[in-house]
Amino acid sequence: MPVEWAKPLPHPTALSQPFWDGTRQRELRLQRCTACATYRFPPLVLCRNCLSEDHEWVPTTGIGTLYSYVIQHRPATPAFIEDLPYVVAIVELDEGPLMLTNIVDCPFDDLNVGMRVAVTYVDASSDITLYPFTPAG
Amino acid sequence: MPAPRDVAIVGVHATKQGRNLGRSALSLMLEAFNGSLDDAGMTKNDVDGMIAFDFPAGTGAGTSLGEIAFQLDTPMRFISQFSGVPALLYAAAMIRDHVADVIAIPFGGSQDETDGATAAYTRPGYEFTEWTGSTTPAQMALQTRRHMALYGTTREQLAHCAMVLRNNAHINPEAVMFGRGPYTAQDVLDSRMIADPYTLLMCALVNDGGSCIIVTSADRAKDCRQLPVWVLAGGIGCYYTSYYSPPTLQPLETRGRMLDAFTRAGVTHDDIDFVTTYDHFASGVLMEYEAAGFCEVGEGGPFCMDHIGLDQRFPVSPDGGNIGYSHCINPYNLRIIEAVRQFRSDTPDLCPNSHLGEHTYDRTICRKVRDPKLAVACGPFTGAFSMSILAKA
Repeated sequence: MPVEWAKPLPHPTALSQPFWDGTRQRELRLQRCTACATYRFPPLVLCRNCLSEDHEWVPTTGIGTLYSYVIQHRPATPAFIEDLPYVVAIVELDEGPLMLTNIVDCPFDDLNVGMRVAVTYVDASSDITLYPFTPAG
Repeated sequence: MPAPRDVAIVGVHATKQGRNLGRSALSLMLEAFNGSLDDAGMTKNDVDGMIAFDFPAGTGAGTSLGEIAFQLDTPMRFISQFSGVPALLYAAAMIRDHVADVIAIPFGGSQDETDGATAAYTRPGYEFTEWTGSTTPAQMALQTRRHMALYGTTREQLAHCAMVLRNNAHINPEAVMFGRGPYTAQDVLDSRMIADPYTLLMCALVNDGGSCIIVTSADRAKDCRQLPVWVLAGGIGCYYTSYYSPPTLQPLETRGRMLDAFTRAGVTHDDIDFVTTYDHFASGVLMEYEAAGFCEVGEGGPFCMDHIGLDQRFPVSPDGGNIGYSHCINPYNLRIIEAVRQFRSDTPDLCPNSHLGEHTYDRTICRKVRDPKLAVACGPFTGAFSMSILAKA
């Protein structure tokens, strides 16, 4: 675990805390509607499909498809300078939702929209574990 | 059947646009508001509706019906918060329904009140965005990479769009990027990489500036100083909040809605003389030609290669757009103002008598569209898209 994480850390809310509890335990958990079984992300009070408020937090496969990516050559803040160039990406999870993330441990020439990717975990603080993705398999 | 000519833009004003003007956003907004009323031949007491994110306030009351009425010392009948094309369409609907008669759409933006390089609202401290190191360009570059993967759009096509806009700005003395060119597409590709696939010259920078548009009924327009510009029809499609939700190409799904707007306007794409796209980044140009129905979805790249130059079939933003003319934090209004100014031949450029409305059409010095009668003005292609069809009286 890093002594100090200089980059911005998420501030969980009551709504999102179960997600962050999941990553800390090496599980990518999403809300699933108990009325229609639709998964959703980011955390919402209602199901986008049927508007039900009833849901459960369930583990996902943590596997998905690369929907899009960009290679950052400028840092979001000075704290990201050491990471340059880095990949900001969208993963379409097998369960449906899109997720903004990073792709790590992948040569840029191997990046391809449609490639299979899997979640990995990075402990950024004692409370927060981040969830970048990496090529699957 | 042609659309009724019942709602008109009768006044426009853009302040000086530039980096670090040293003025507050509210001061720039107020100058633009007064300028557009003067252009229309109206006074503040004619205004009974306003669409603005904020109007000179400073009392802590913000934008509310009561506060605007108090500050203008005149009764108000409608307010909302937006800019540019969506605001214009709200205004048109309110005027057609006689809720209000004269609606102002003022905006002012100042870098002094942001962190400088990007507009603050594009960088929320959101728990599912910020940790990834995503930047403002990254969000639109994610849409662009998806477009490249699905449709074969190329960097060269993006560079072409940026080149055309920057060369238009190069000959516009009012443009923030005036005199910086001329550029080739290769210059754009060779500029430093910001957020691959975007290079520096594919991105709009942030600057200061104010703008305002006055909208009224055909009846009231008769008494105005300027010939009206008719608001024929338009459309809005909103899908998600940019910088919070992962960006997608869903706003392309507005295309059918925009085709319906052409039908309501009683015109076809072939009748359009020029288009003012909202180019926060070069990709905005080609995606907006698609979403507005000038070409099929996915064909924007090849389409722009031979349609958007000043002497080509559908010239893009002759002022240089957001990338070259001004990106005053929220430049929505400027896309409409350029359309109005082209209709009026109020288009400063390097032609010897451009100040008299005389143009040479030599494209090394002239950015005037030939005898324009119809234009399409666009809102940004982000998590939303909007478009309006405007006609010269």
